[in-house]
Amino acid sequence: MSTVILSPPLVSETTTEPRWVQRTLIAVALAFLTLFLFVPLLAVFAEALKKGLGVYWAALVEPDARAAIQLTFLAAAVAVPFNLVFGVAAAWAIAKFEFRGKSVLTTLIDLPFAVSPVIAGLVYVLVFGAHGWFGPWLAEHDLKVIFAVPGIVLATVFVTFPFIARELIPLMQAQGTEEEEAAIVLGASGWQMFWRVTLPNIKWGLLYGVILCTARAMGEFGAVSVVSGHIRGLTNTLPLHVEILYNEYNFAAAFACASVLTLLALVMLAVKTFIEWQTRHPHPAAPPAATAAGDTPGRAVGDPA
Amino acid sequence: MSIEIRNITKRFGAYTALDEVSLDVPAGELVALLGPSGCGKTTLLRIVAGMERPDAGQVLFHGEDATDRHVRERQVGFVFQHYALFQHMSVFENVAFGLRVRPRATRPPEAEIRERVMKLLALVQLDWLAGRYPAQLSGGQRQRIALARALAVEPRVLLLDEPFGALDTQVRKELRRWLRRLHDEIHVTSVFVTHDQEEALEVADRVVVMNRGHIEQIGTPDEVYEHPATPFVYQFLGNVNLFHGRVHAGVADVGGLRVPSPEHDAVEHAAALAYVRPHDIELSRQPGGGALRGTVAEVRPLGPIVRLEVIAAPTGETVEVEITRERYQAETFRSGEVLYLRPRQLRVFVNPAANAAPEPARDFAI
Repeated sequence: MSTVILSPPLVSETTTEPRWVQRTLIAVALAFLTLFLFVPLLAVFAEALKKGLGVYWAALVEPDARAAIQLTFLAAAVAVPFNLVFGVAAAWAIAKFEFRGKSVLTTLIDLPFAVSPVIAGLVYVLVFGAHGWFGPWLAEHDLKVIFAVPGIVLATVFVTFPFIARELIPLMQAQGTEEEEAAIVLGASGWQMFWRVTLPNIKWGLLYGVILCTARAMGEFGAVSVVSGHIRGLTNTLPLHVEILYNEYNFAAAFACASVLTLLALVMLAVKTFIEWQTRHPHPAAPPAATAAGDTPGRAVGDPA
Repeated sequence: MSIEIRNITKRFGAYTALDEVSLDVPAGELVALLGPSGCGKTTLLRIVAGMERPDAGQVLFHGEDATDRHVRERQVGFVFQHYALFQHMSVFENVAFGLRVRPRATRPPEAEIRERVMKLLALVQLDWLAGRYPAQLSGGQRQRIALARALAVEPRVLLLDEPFGALDTQVRKELRRWLRRLHDEIHVTSVFVTHDQEEALEVADRVVVMNRGHIEQIGTPDEVYEHPATPFVYQFLGNVNLFHGRVHAGVADVGGLRVPSPEHDAVEHAAALAYVRPHDIELSRQPGGGALRGTVAEVRPLGPIVRLEVIAAPTGETVEVEITRERYQAETFRSGEVLYLRPRQLRVFVNPAANAAPEPARDFAI
């Protein structure tokens, strides 16, 4: 009995560090963050705006830049819905069913994380390129994949496909199948079960995955760089465009475009934080908040300005 | 709506969860499937519901073969151990779900849905919670909502999988009495699974005791408790003292005690187990015929009863004896005292390893 009474203060004394240790750790962390995160972030905007708002704006509305922005959004707009469907299907299969080769599928989903993006790009060149497996057939039918928009989309899809599935698998595994079973016993069809029970249960995880996937899709450089061919105004995404401008010593324009990417990333992070906050306080505010948050990522993705 | 279960077998890999189980549940009865975890009771319930497919055998509803009927067409109400309420829906919407997902042709109009849901919520005495979400309810409230949701589709049978398993003792007791009253009111054929013998005995019209994929016994709560058919039922239902002995020509020799056992007339020199409930032992300070001598090792008052641990003299086995508190206060047995134990009711089973209990018939009828 006496140990029970004595233990709380004992525990807190032994597990709490002295003041100075706490402060030192915080200071080290802050210094590190400042050096490697805040300063570069500020530098992007400082460099972008160095020659004034006029130059900044001109760099963004210039045709090649606009084409690059549009292509970036196009790639994300195709890759994200594709991975959304694939991610939900894969997570569903892995979390709710037992089948042969399940662990192989789980491992394969992680492949894009493990493989260097450059390799991913090269694989597509080998498969769809002029001298690749399907190259002659594609050329015969006048289809261009490599050094064209389809290749960029393919590379983006490949690189981003683990994000949503990875987010959903542990969530769906934790939730189990009881609610779905309850829906079926009550007479719901497969679709009704999915739309009315499964989807509402995974919506926060799904949104989180979509945001990570979108952020990565817009920022992807390596794989896209290999398949793009860097044709200005045609096959340049925003990250590639930034690189080209930089290599041409056009720093103000390069940083202007970089600032757009940075802003997009910041918006995504803000939405992500909001969702994390929402998931931590799901009840009873969940039903009204659900619709509000449901709109936000859509706006961030869909609105290029 | 009666349920007939015919020779159901279910295997999970090499493990046989159910081995040729047959069971009849007449319309309107409340039946408990009772057994330890892993005995196959939940699997049997899920097969009746259609959530699990048997490897062999049939499930008949009202004489009609429903084995191949899809779960959503079976019209069963199912209550899950962990409620399985839809977390993102209000209590009202949870109960309304089964009506809302119907095809347009059979879906009742909104006003009727509202009326039926509110009626069901009134039935489970929770109509004042219609606007709440499951996370805002207590465990007992959630389970009552789950029951209302299951009843909303007007099920022909109601299946409950450990319905009170996740609740604390007080709520559990209250809820099972409530379930009993509710069943008396609505009379829907119901099967519930439990590992809690007290729950089964208190709530059910019939108790089906299961063990390792078999049915051990079927009977009213009184029958299974008073006349267990097998050693397993004896041990599973309540405390019991076990004596090793031998049986020969209708007489059992149990720890030095000779007990007539006429049902084993034909048995010659076989090992036997004898079971005596702790409250079926008479304690006395006087020696007499048919009594075991023993020394009191410990006296433990447990609420309304007092439990004595007595070391039986011939074998050194510990025997538990339960007497009423009144009796104890009158007699004041002390530890260390020598007493004589006389079993009032003792059941002998021959050679338990080969399960020589009265051979259970293949087809159990309730």
